[in-house]
Amino acid sequence: MDNFILLIVTILKIILIIVPLLIAVAYLTLAERKVIGSMQARVGPNRVGWRGLAQPFADLFKLLTKEVIVPSSSSRFLFLIAPVLSLAPAFAAWAVVPFSDGLVLADVNAGLLYVLAMTSLGVYGVIIAGWASNSKYAFLGAMRSAAQIVAYEIAMGFALIGVLMMSGSLNLSDIVRAQSGGIGHWFLLPLFPLAVVYFISGVAETNRAPFDVAEGESEIVAGFHVDYSGMAFAVFFLAEYANMIMIAALTAIMFLGGWLSPIDGFGDGFHWFLIKTSLMLFFFLWFRATFPRYRYDQIMRLGWKVFIPVTIVWIAVVGFAIYFNVGPWFQIRSI
Amino acid sequence: MNNLHVATPEIFLLVAVCTVLVVDLFQTDKRRVVTYWLSQATLVITLALCFGQLGDEPVTAFNGAYTMDSMSATLKCWILGIALLGFLYSRDYIGERDIQNGEYYVLGLFGVGGMMIMVSANNMLSIYLGLELLALSLYAMVALYRTSSRAAEAAMKYFVLGALASGMLLYGMSMVYGATGSLDLATINNIIASAVEGGSDSDESVYRSLGARFGLTFIIVGVAFKLGAVPFHMWLPDVYEGAPTSVTLYIATAPKIAAFAMVIRLLVDALPTLHSDWQQMLAILAALSLIVGNLVAIAQSNIKRMLAYSTISHVGFLLLGIVAGTAEGYSAAMFYAVTYAFTTLAAFGVLLAISANGYEADELVSLSGLARRKPLLAMVMMLSLISLAGVPPLVGFYAKLSVLKAVIGADFLWLAVVGVIMSVIGAFYYLRAIKLMYFDEPIADTVEVSETVGTDTTKDNEAIVTSAPSLSGPIAVRGDVGLGLAINGAAVILFGIFPGLIMAACIRAFT
Amino acid sequence: MGGALITAGRFIGPSNPNAEKNSPYECGFEAFEDARMKFDVRYYLVAILFIIFDLEIAFLVPWAVVLDSISPAAFGAMALFLFILVIGFIYEWKKGALEWE
Repeated sequence: MDNFILLIVTILKIILIIVPLLIAVAYLTLAERKVIGSMQARVGPNRVGWRGLAQPFADLFKLLTKEVIVPSSSSRFLFLIAPVLSLAPAFAAWAVVPFSDGLVLADVNAGLLYVLAMTSLGVYGVIIAGWASNSKYAFLGAMRSAAQIVAYEIAMGFALIGVLMMSGSLNLSDIVRAQSGGIGHWFLLPLFPLAVVYFISGVAETNRAPFDVAEGESEIVAGFHVDYSGMAFAVFFLAEYANMIMIAALTAIMFLGGWLSPIDGFGDGFHWFLIKTSLMLFFFLWFRATFPRYRYDQIMRLGWKVFIPVTIVWIAVVGFAIYFNVGPWFQIRSI
Repeated sequence: MNNLHVATPEIFLLVAVCTVLVVDLFQTDKRRVVTYWLSQATLVITLALCFGQLGDEPVTAFNGAYTMDSMSATLKCWILGIALLGFLYSRDYIGERDIQNGEYYVLGLFGVGGMMIMVSANNMLSIYLGLELLALSLYAMVALYRTSSRAAEAAMKYFVLGALASGMLLYGMSMVYGATGSLDLATINNIIASAVEGGSDSDESVYRSLGARFGLTFIIVGVAFKLGAVPFHMWLPDVYEGAPTSVTLYIATAPKIAAFAMVIRLLVDALPTLHSDWQQMLAILAALSLIVGNLVAIAQSNIKRMLAYSTISHVGFLLLGIVAGTAEGYSAAMFYAVTYAFTTLAAFGVLLAISANGYEADELVSLSGLARRKPLLAMVMMLSLISLAGVPPLVGFYAKLSVLKAVIGADFLWLAVVGVIMSVIGAFYYLRAIKLMYFDEPIADTVEVSETVGTDTTKDNEAIVTSAPSLSGPIAVRGDVGLGLAINGAAVILFGIFPGLIMAACIRAFT
Repeated sequence: MGGALITAGRFIGPSNPNAEKNSPYECGFEAFEDARMKFDVRYYLVAILFIIFDLEIAFLVPWAVVLDSISPAAFGAMALFLFILVIGFIYEWKKGALEWE
């Protein structure tokens, strides 16, 4: 009986995370159109509902009533499973994200590893989709996406090593706690190069502009999901935006002190996490409005020849600084 | 820290290789002069460091995983010396064939590092570590000649079979580990000795000695693969033939010494209590290697293939010494390994010297009339071949003699008889090559030039047309190569007349 | 969740397939040859390099967590490890394994 109650409670908790997340995704799409609209001196969607606020739901219902085309030459099973595979990790990763002190579904000790694993798993959905579609555009898109994610994964991993060295823990809640003491103690300052690398790699990993060569509407007509339609397409869409929110949230947790207030002990809580995540999401949208798409060789060069050396050097710097107790910033706070 | 100085030569070598690798990257010189001299300097300094360790008391380091004893110090010096001469001989050959020079030296040095670790290993893991470092370098070296499809094929074969052998060895090691719960050679020895003594008294000792015997079988298979003993020899002729000659030289010489050390470490240091088990297996391997190696070598027209089968037969002899299972036999085998390595080195050195100007001297006929074209080369080649055949004043004779003495001393008369008969048969193909050099006319210039180099790319062929190699004219040999070959040839005589110079060290290693 | 959404889409959306609609998209061309073609070996190279560096990260993780309580030997060992990998990185860089055009 106890187990049953535990199960029900856990499911309720999961629903409590997923439903707001879905709503967040829905409104992120609206926010994207509105923000980019404003940046380009347009209005953005404003017909459905008050100032377009019902637009995401209109989109949802439209996609829901469209046909899910399965191309005749595709591998049927893989074709249908691919969107699911890309969505599942995007949602699963949220299990270890601490929204506020103690407010986390699973307070596991290896949280960071889990997140790293989940964010990398998303690439399988993309590769399988590209393969299963059996279309040249989709295949090209998938190959590009795989190589790109692989390249940035390394930079991302190195950046996380820096966070680990500073916090001395793999638990995301502990990582946030290690940053307590006001804005000066956030990892953003001592790990600034790593924070920048992490966030940009996150943009690249989610295949967002300016790193969206895997989709690249103007060259390979949407890349790996060129053959997807209706809800199958919507699920990919959902996964991409859920991943964006995920990366934004992780950046907030690991470099911006998560739920902590910039002034020590002054109103810590969920709202700060929300504000920081939203700020990072705004950067996502801003990038898309501002930067032209990178060329593929430029992407690979940035990943391998800029980010990896930068992160290796900074890890060495941080490692020495922490080990020999240099400076005010590089002291591991015991938790 | 725990006896780090024991590994000074290896540590120096590793640092130096990394330096060579990086320096090579920033070199524009096509002949890689700086890389070459840096590599040689590395070897010389490491050799000096090893030489300094020669008389030291045996010590272990890294929690017993590494040891420096009389055997390892001696063998390391030989390995380094042979690698040094090997690089000297190879230099022009690889420079001409555009086989990425820098990588050749770097991989060669890494391989030397692997051999040194193998020789000094005192723990199953460090043995395997050294072996893999050596083997991976060798695979890559064989594959370096990217324009040659034969080299690619050889590399593939070598890699697949080598990986299989490594797997076998590792499997055997894991079984021994399972039976004893230790990776340390001395501890394994103690545990198995007490288990064997315990006999069938307790289940535990039965399981232990049974597990160790199973493991031993796999270890022997793995070792036999690596050594190239019949019936695990199939890769050897193909790799020798397909690999660029400079790489064949490298594979054929120093790694044999390291493989010998590995056998000693695994069988004599770790599993001496199972002596009667591995003795029988090795006896069969040795007899088969002797028979197959010598008989098949007669049928070969490709000189690299012939030397490959000759290697197989010599591996048979090497194993004979270990089969004997006495200190006398082990030191005889050690003597054999060392002398075989530098004698073969001379033979391949001569082949490399002939293979100038894009001409690939790998057919027996390319030796024709060598005595008239370049007497020094013919002389060194003859000394080397006669020594391999085991003719008295030369070092090969004493090596064979001491091995046979040890075998007879251990009451393996039939093996000794096989060994003697097969040496006599083997003498035929060595003498045939000598006859070609001294009594035959050089082959005419027009013969089959294009065919012998037919596997090369068109680019290479164009180079040949521009500097048409002469097969009958005199051969130009660089001064340092000539000197190296002369020293090498002199060593074959010198140590034949005074075998005690090496033998003393070999005997000291096993007392 | 994803499965439910797709299933919903399949049921709610119309389904009237025809040959034209179900052929893979190729800008209006008739699809020619199999799309699962050979691809550039560089992708393969990148994958191998990725494995090396990813393993490196896997080695670094436990080390980084206990950084404040390890011995100088452990610190030095990791420094050596990173150093060797950096040499490898320089090597692949100079050899052009990271070039894309």
